[in-house]
Amino acid sequence: MRIPSVIIASLALIWPCLSIAAFAQQSTGAGAENPLPQAEASPNDIDGEKMFATTCGFCHQDGGRHAGRGPKLSKSERSDEYIVERIKKGKPGAMPAYGGVFSDGQIIAILAYIRGLDD
Amino acid sequence: MTLHERYVVGCATVAVAALVTISPTRAQVPTQPQEAALNAEAAQNDWPTYHGTYKSYHYSGLDQINTGNVKNLEVAWMHFPERATRGIQSTPLALDGVLYYSGSYSRVYALDGATGKTIWAYAPELDEDLVSKQTHSPYNRGIAIGHGNLYVGTVDGRLIALDLKTGKPVWDTKLLDSKKMTVGFTGAPLVVKDKVIIGAQGGEWPHRGPIFGVEGKTGAKKWEFFTVAGTEEAMKTWGGDSWRTGGGGGWMPGTYDPETNTVWWGTANPAPLYDWGGADWKKSGPRPGENLYTTSVIALDPDSGKLKFYHQELPHDAWDFDSSVGEFVMIDRGGKKLVVHANKSGYIFVYDRSNAKIENVWPLVKNINFVKSIDPKTGELIGRRDLSEGKVDPPLCPAIAGGISWNSGAYSPKNGLFYRIGQEWCMELTVEKTTPILEPMAQLNIGATFKFIPPPDGPARGHLSARDPVTGAKKWEVNYKEPPLASVLATAGNLVFVPDAEGIVHAYNADTGEELWSRNNGMGHNAGIISYMAGGKQYIAVPAGWGSLVADEFVALYGEPFKSMPKNTGALVVFALRQ
Repeated sequence: MRIPSVIIASLALIWPCLSIAAFAQQSTGAGAENPLPQAEASPNDIDGEKMFATTCGFCHQDGGRHAGRGPKLSKSERSDEYIVERIKKGKPGAMPAYGGVFSDGQIIAILAYIRGLDD
Repeated sequence: MTLHERYVVGCATVAVAALVTISPTRAQVPTQPQEAALNAEAAQNDWPTYHGTYKSYHYSGLDQINTGNVKNLEVAWMHFPERATRGIQSTPLALDGVLYYSGSYSRVYALDGATGKTIWAYAPELDEDLVSKQTHSPYNRGIAIGHGNLYVGTVDGRLIALDLKTGKPVWDTKLLDSKKMTVGFTGAPLVVKDKVIIGAQGGEWPHRGPIFGVEGKTGAKKWEFFTVAGTEEAMKTWGGDSWRTGGGGGWMPGTYDPETNTVWWGTANPAPLYDWGGADWKKSGPRPGENLYTTSVIALDPDSGKLKFYHQELPHDAWDFDSSVGEFVMIDRGGKKLVVHANKSGYIFVYDRSNAKIENVWPLVKNINFVKSIDPKTGELIGRRDLSEGKVDPPLCPAIAGGISWNSGAYSPKNGLFYRIGQEWCMELTVEKTTPILEPMAQLNIGATFKFIPPPDGPARGHLSARDPVTGAKKWEVNYKEPPLASVLATAGNLVFVPDAEGIVHAYNADTGEELWSRNNGMGHNAGIISYMAGGKQYIAVPAGWGSLVADEFVALYGEPFKSMPKNTGALVVFALRQ
């Protein structure tokens, strides 16, 4: 099942707030072991395209439009839940788990970017 | 002397005598490679260090297996490691008839070199949660032997010493906070005198890529050299605070020159891989400046870890063309002491061993456009293509996997030829102005999206060429539909062995390139091939098992057999002549 685009858009809009909240939690919690510099940066960090180019583009080629080390993501028939879960938990020996690195808001931003891809 | 004292002395004498009587057999079992073997041109009965010997020829002096009888080569025994996630990517070692090798998750095996019977096996407990977050994991690319120990690094930032005879841990030193830095160790360590030297992963991760010198007997860290801004001079080559997250690393083992007491090591690219500074890279972009000592060959004092000299092969590497990838082939020619080093860009650099001054630079591959050329006298990059934000046009050659990959070539002192795999491919690339990453974190730092494409002159492909290592003059070449990704082995039997990507091991006549033998191991090769002697018989050992990050690209490029090729299995296959 797909997350309604309106939710994705809303999450994207409130990302700066989520980001600050995440940072506040991490500076005192266990997450401090993996500091999230995005939390300190500008609201543009929510840009799923930039996040993709920073990290995901290493394996999902042409911005996710073409298979490479990882599969093609544009027009994926996988559900939103599946993609979010895969980003969080990864796949042993193939894809790192980003659940401890990206916040839910960032993962939604990446999902929104993937869903907006043309072939 | 009292009776009691006489009794004690008598017992002690008997005990010493017994030790002397028993010891000869044990004393003959070496627990570390001999200095002469390490310094030799050819690996003889043993394969004592990652690159064969410190000369880094990947050359065996054994000739029982030769051009006349290689057709009779057949499988002698096999070994299957546990949890071969991403295949097997390591180069085995051999000492006194025992073969040692590592698999994924830094599992280590000691096997009877003649029969394959397990002598001991070791599996470290790793931080599995951390491993699940890592991109370049959980493979291990090799081990080192010395001081009665076997050394292996781990992806969670440790260097472990095992007793060579028993496989029991001797010490376990945490060198990196991998939870914070993401990076750990996948490359083989190098034993130099009383030290074990190992380089951290680096490149696209925002840390500073240290190389460590550790005391072999105790595991105590003796020095740490940062490949990113490791000196005051280097700090000035990073604009702002970019040095804090500059990447670097020394993820493949270098070698040692005993004549000058110098360790040669190659360093990785800076992070982010691609930046938008364009032609103004000295002043703008995410990492303004030359970014020392990334994409460099560095010469370190093994005793202190101090930098002696260096050459930065690609100042401000804007293309991810590491210097980590290449072996350091030590050649004496015409009264000059030279070292030949392959850079990922597809260029081969030839240096003066005393100071890293350029003696020559020559291209191994045809499809290169990140520069127009490299000055063979000075090493200066001529017509460099610095990238700006947006689509890169025409596409960049070679592709991110390089004109040369991380496994090693071979050099035969018998005929003076250097055997190296080259890769011909390019990629479409769009550089993105990503948000600066100011602290290390568990995340890659790429700065672009890209797609592999064939080069302008034909399909994406690979080749093995036999060349003069100093001039690059080509004697023969063999072409492959897909680039082989394993190391090459040359032998005194006048043979060159190439384990290829589809799973075939080829043996060629070293002088002509004529194929004399081949066998299908059933899965692609990503590791190092060696030769050794056990029980008076020569063996060829090659790990099979597919799954490196470059190998991952083959599915989209070539389809089958890579689409169906498993990436979670592997086998060590050992060949010998039919009786």
